[in-house]
Amino acid sequence: MSLSEKYKDDIADILSRYPVKRSALIPLLYLAQQEEGYVTERAMIEIAGILDLTPPQVYETITFYTMFNLKPVGKFHIQVCKSLMCALVGSDTVIGWIKTKLGIGPGETTADGLFTLSLVECLASCGTGPMMQINEDYYERLTEEKLDRILADLKSTGSSQLKSGPFMWPESIQT
Amino acid sequence: MPAVQPAAQTVPMVRLTIDGMTVHVPKGTLVIEAARRVGVMIPHFCYHPKLKPDANCRMCLVEIEKMPKLQTACSTPVEEGMNVRTATTVVNDAHKSVLEFILANHPLDCPVCDQGGKCDLQDFSHQYTPTTSRFIEIKRVFQKEYFSPLIETQMNRCVQCLRCVRYCDEVMDVKALAPVGRGTMTEIKHFGPHPLDCEFCGGCVQICPVGAITSRLSMYEFRPWMLKRTDTVCGYCGDGCQMTVQTKGQELIEVNSALGAGRNNGDLCVRGFFGFHAAAHPQRLTQPLIRRNGVLTPATWEEALEFVAERIGTIKEAHGGQSFGGLISGRCTNEELYLFQKFMRVTIGTNNIDSSARYGHINGIQAMRDVQGTHRWTVSFDDIAAADVLLLAGTNITETNPITALKIKEAVKKRRASLVTIEALEPSIEPISNLANLSLHHFCTPTPHLRNAVLGLLKAIVENHSVHSDLTRRHPSYVNDLREALAQVTWREIETATGKNAASFSAAAKTIAEGRQVVVLVGQSLLRSADGYWNSLNLLDLLLVIGKLDQAGCGFAPLAEENNDQGAIEMGAAAEFLPGPCDGADPVERDRIMSSWGSDLPPSGGASLVEMLDRAGAGILKAMFIVGENPVASLPAQVRAQDSLRKLELLVCQELFLTETAALAHVVLPATSSMEKAGTFTNTEGHVQTVRPAIEPIGESRPDWEIFAAVSAILGTPMDYTESRDILKEIRGLIPGYGALGPSPTPPRVDPTAIDRYLTEGYRRNLTGRYRLLPGEARPDGTVHLELTQSLFHSGKLSARSKGLLLVEQDGVLRINPHDAARFMVKNGDRVRLSNVRGEITTTVKIMNRIPLGWAWFPNHFGSSVMSLFDCVIDPVTRAPAFRTTTVSVMKVA
Amino acid sequence: MPHHELILLKNMAQPGYGGSLTEYERAGGYQALRATLGKIPPADVTAAVRKSGLRGRGGAGFPTGVKWGFLPKDYQGPRYLCCNADESEPGTFKDRQLMERDPHQILEGIVLAAYAIGAESAYIYIRGELVLAAKILERAIGEARAAGYIGKNILGTGVTVDVWVHRGAGAYICGEETALLESLEGKRGLPRVKPPFPATHGLYGKPTVVNNVETLANLPHIMNRGAEWFASIGSPPKSTGTRVFCVSGHVKRPGNYEVPMGVTVRELVYDYAGGMRSDKPLKAFIPGGASAPFLTPAHLDVKLDFESVAAAGSMLGSGGVTVMEEGTNMVWAALRLMEFFYHESCGKCSPCREGSSWLVQIMRRIVAKRGRMEDLETLSDLCKNIAGRTVCAFGDAEVAPIQGTLKYWRDEYVALIREAEAANLLMPEPAGVKP
Ligand SMILES: Cc1cc2nc3c(=O)[nH]c(=O)nc-3n(C[C@H](O)[C@H](O)[C@H](O)COP(=O)(O)O)c2cc1C
Ligand code: SF4
Ligand code: FES
Repeated sequence: MSLSEKYKDDIADILSRYPVKRSALIPLLYLAQQEEGYVTERAMIEIAGILDLTPPQVYETITFYTMFNLKPVGKFHIQVCKSLMCALVGSDTVIGWIKTKLGIGPGETTADGLFTLSLVECLASCGTGPMMQINEDYYERLTEEKLDRILADLKSTGSSQLKSGPFMWPESIQT
Repeated sequence: MPAVQPAAQTVPMVRLTIDGMTVHVPKGTLVIEAARRVGVMIPHFCYHPKLKPDANCRMCLVEIEKMPKLQTACSTPVEEGMNVRTATTVVNDAHKSVLEFILANHPLDCPVCDQGGKCDLQDFSHQYTPTTSRFIEIKRVFQKEYFSPLIETQMNRCVQCLRCVRYCDEVMDVKALAPVGRGTMTEIKHFGPHPLDCEFCGGCVQICPVGAITSRLSMYEFRPWMLKRTDTVCGYCGDGCQMTVQTKGQELIEVNSALGAGRNNGDLCVRGFFGFHAAAHPQRLTQPLIRRNGVLTPATWEEALEFVAERIGTIKEAHGGQSFGGLISGRCTNEELYLFQKFMRVTIGTNNIDSSARYGHINGIQAMRDVQGTHRWTVSFDDIAAADVLLLAGTNITETNPITALKIKEAVKKRRASLVTIEALEPSIEPISNLANLSLHHFCTPTPHLRNAVLGLLKAIVENHSVHSDLTRRHPSYVNDLREALAQVTWREIETATGKNAASFSAAAKTIAEGRQVVVLVGQSLLRSADGYWNSLNLLDLLLVIGKLDQAGCGFAPLAEENNDQGAIEMGAAAEFLPGPCDGADPVERDRIMSSWGSDLPPSGGASLVEMLDRAGAGILKAMFIVGENPVASLPAQVRAQDSLRKLELLVCQELFLTETAALAHVVLPATSSMEKAGTFTNTEGHVQTVRPAIEPIGESRPDWEIFAAVSAILGTPMDYTESRDILKEIRGLIPGYGALGPSPTPPRVDPTAIDRYLTEGYRRNLTGRYRLLPGEARPDGTVHLELTQSLFHSGKLSARSKGLLLVEQDGVLRINPHDAARFMVKNGDRVRLSNVRGEITTTVKIMNRIPLGWAWFPNHFGSSVMSLFDCVIDPVTRAPAFRTTTVSVMKVA
Repeated sequence: MPHHELILLKNMAQPGYGGSLTEYERAGGYQALRATLGKIPPADVTAAVRKSGLRGRGGAGFPTGVKWGFLPKDYQGPRYLCCNADESEPGTFKDRQLMERDPHQILEGIVLAAYAIGAESAYIYIRGELVLAAKILERAIGEARAAGYIGKNILGTGVTVDVWVHRGAGAYICGEETALLESLEGKRGLPRVKPPFPATHGLYGKPTVVNNVETLANLPHIMNRGAEWFASIGSPPKSTGTRVFCVSGHVKRPGNYEVPMGVTVRELVYDYAGGMRSDKPLKAFIPGGASAPFLTPAHLDVKLDFESVAAAGSMLGSGGVTVMEEGTNMVWAALRLMEFFYHESCGKCSPCREGSSWLVQIMRRIVAKRGRMEDLETLSDLCKNIAGRTVCAFGDAEVAPIQGTLKYWRDEYVALIREAEAANLLMPEPAGVKP
């Protein structure tokens, strides 16, 4: 089914927010990515049509941003922050753990298609490093034990209680 | 109506100092441009005068007093009292360092790069950098992907200035190129892993300052300094682009066009840029052929010319001059067109003369002559670019006259002109740009019914009280008659006929009536329709009614299809016109020409193209000269051109190739293409430009004028011209406007007496007829309306012999709307059979969103096969044949 | 620990505060909006903000009221407000907390700012990764719209302000205000050449203001308690109000601390953040996010306000304070940041684009013990040739780590290169750059 059939109302709602259609490009690409886990060529062409753009215009935009996948990724996309602040508190160790536990390096996906590992730059949780994002959720102040539980949870139930809630750090301040 | 000059817009001037020199420039000028005026060349990559500043390469840094940092000259507008320094150590160091960065990832492959010798990067490197680089790291490498049949990319060489991308968007409005990825890994690509699909204008090749984008047609073939450069004029369409042909000996290597050159200012379309190989096609005729025992066999020029002269003599003696007819192509030079009609009139003694302008261009010219007394536009390309309101009717301009289209894009995109379009086009985003997308008011109307939308506009103008008050005062009967005629059409009918309501027309009418500088352009679709002449009159009425026809910068502009259709008319290559063009029946003009030529003229009147064929068919016409035209393939089968030509006692064809028509000839004489000869072309806006030979004539071929002169001489009417310039001299004596071939033509002004004549009397001719709505045609189930249109990639017999153009479009395909495709259950690439009572053909389908529902387009230049499907009607006034639309049923074939 | 009044973090510091509309209202929320819209002329709001001395919290520290004043007065047609919630500067995580914990504080600030500049549409441009924050903001917008604080004819005042969340998709450069506008227009996030500035040619070419989340969150308090009150906090006259400093690195209690501007680094690190993690001495710190040059223990008593940090040779920037202990290799640290900048250079300007890839390759070689002495001169030359020669300030930022470390810890570079020489690995097997 095409996006415009399936998400008719969402698309209309997104378009209504902007006086110029092209602004809806990133929101529509998110819709497409949500649909198949990555943005297919067909989706790009369809979105170009909705927004009166040429497919190359969609393509140039999508490739500028790191969050869009142009190829399928694992069900759980693990993104470990490797920037300095996390590195100071051990992100390289976390990467090492993941490599051994899952047997994949950066850019690789496990054979069962469950996990893909990526190294990313700062995710705005420098005070709670080392940290990683898996799909939409943040996991912070990682330890080896915590990591094991997260991976096990994801494998068994598809989600983990260890993900961060609304951010506050330190949890109680200046008391 | 008094002719009022628009208020001269005075741009305030700014004074600044550059390297100690004082410069006065208009406000808004960029520092880099101001510097150029005093001879200071500031190095740059991303700057280009046609593009909006992007300031990405950072090469043009200069010091500006009172500014803390170095500034980019390409993006900084001048200011009063500014003090710019470009030659200090600081600036020089900055240039060096930026260049060092740009070179860091650039491969040092100049020896194998096609840009070597004309590369900005190479030039600046010689100027600034040491021979050894400090960069010892790994250079960036892009995976090589196939890009396109015509364009080669070497992205490792790219300096990411984005000139190509910006040109494709800002100038062409095509947006086919995408900077993909980010940072150092930004690569210019098309969409995904697909080869480029675009207009192939070659703009990216021309504008790339390095060797990242080059032409595949000339890959590895040359070094720039080995080539001979010839500045000449493109032979494909009436836009008349100036181009530079680069050759190595007899080999055609490359074509480009320098910024500032010609009416095109350096821009070209696919035909100009990639279509230059036709002249060198292996099937070019290289020697004369004489039919012997039914077979065309090679002969010497002497034999051939003697043969022709002898046959002419015999036939003329037996049947008189009126038994001859001549047809010439609007692709010939003015000199050839002129000499042809003189040959026909003087040597042969007949007015049976016609040219390709008869197919449609004559409709626009006659309308202009009848209403405003000119045979040329009263506007120039510059007026189009400067117009604030543009009305396009039946042009399909991107495909037919791509460079005029750029002027329109410039007016709309850069200068915010309002565009109103009456076109058989749906707005849509496709690899070929679509003017309807830029349109403020668009009326999508099938070609045969364009008139209906024009009448809607006229009615809205009249009802909006936008009729110019002067006009109402001075010519009340004209205004009244128009008003009455328009009152006969109701909005309800207009709405049914056009699908647009009164409010839409009223809004568009308001835009037009409020315009300061209004230009109306009509193109082939309209001009070649059965309604071409009458609808042109209606559009001229529109300009009259809003009081714009005689205003400076305003006017009516019919677009010529063939590169020299305009010249054909002006040279008098038409039965009804003497050179000028003057009315062939006007005794004063006849006397003037006769005394200048020192010979008699045949009595006025003469047969037009289709009439000649009819007379040949009836046995009245005995001999024909056909120069560069191919009526057998160009006219519908119903005209029976082939049968008629077979009956001739003498058919002489001057041709580049053995066309369907030439194959019937008694004598075929090999002619040269415009790559091989000198002369002039008159473009669609009336600009006369010099054509220069880039290569020697192929084989034994000769310029057409030489052939006429030679035959004439044998017949005892010497034509003493040693070169084409001698003919031009004679033309100058007869025709105004051929004096100095200057860079910018001054368009003629309307003739007030002609307008008065039209407003008092002329307009009445068929007023009720031309102000009547045209009924829609019934379209039975399973059928579409078929229309012959022009494809961007081809514009004539030559293009179909050009290897570059054939790489993009091999063959005619049927372009069809997606809904119709669904209706016939066909996909892209499927084969379909088209048939009607007249015949049937099989072709391939291409689905395009721009094609209006219920219509299908087929390119006329691959049309010889589909010609069997069309009927032909002849306009009673202009004698133009119209045969571009019909109805066919569509069946998918396995 | 010294006690300062919390302003921005006050609500969320209350145990159990969940940030819903009712909780926010109970804490006095939307009073400023009620007292301002339709009651105080927009020009007076701008004047008050100017008087408060509020300066942008996004990085550049431009006076907010002055920025608003640049909008054309007589322009008919739409104007826009963009809330910069792109928070991507390594070391910075305050906006995330403000958004996830007290979203209505920001929304109230947005409506006030939009009212002051005459914008009827406001977009919150939030970095794509912050999915939770975006959801919380969306929910809060829904609540505020239902309560009549956002939308058409707010509280019957005739004022219209519509607010939408627009998610980015992974590009640090989109925090730069003109790149943000490009991105919001659905394009590649490349910074625009200035002038023209957003104040006249911003979103869709219309007059536009871009303000940081924290900047906007201050507005309700300024309107509630007055410009004089605000101007009296911190280090007047030039650095007024509080800052939410994000402390990260080798400290015991990393986190967000809201303190008046002018507190010293020593106080922030030792009093608030609990001192050094393993009681090793502090070796280096970054005072204002990755773009700010490193400072040394000698700078511990520098006051954290715009002027003092600038005078010390760095910048207050986004308020991200990263602390490194003795034993941290500074060349390695600089490389980590350089890799960030290399990854994030948008690629528009040649010096930034090519320079970042060149610098990162040299740095990798040095850290991998394949450096050469000449590299040091090349490094500092390249840095000098990038800074100040690009369209946006990214160029200046990307050279800060190398310039800073070369200035104070050149010996560490030299040591690594000496090791390379000793190992006789002179001719490098180059460390290629992977995209
Ligand atoms: C490379 C770069 C990245 C930036 N990133 C951010 C950011 O993530 N968040 C932010 O608020 N400002 C960022 N800025 C600053 C913005 O350009 C702009 O100055 C700020 O949003 C203005 O808001 P303010 O005046 O309230 O600080 C960045 C600037 C640059 C040059
Ligand atoms: S391909 Fe050429 S013109 Fe296009 S961006 Fe690269 S260097 Fe510039
Ligand atoms: S893009 Fe602005 S400095 Fe690189």
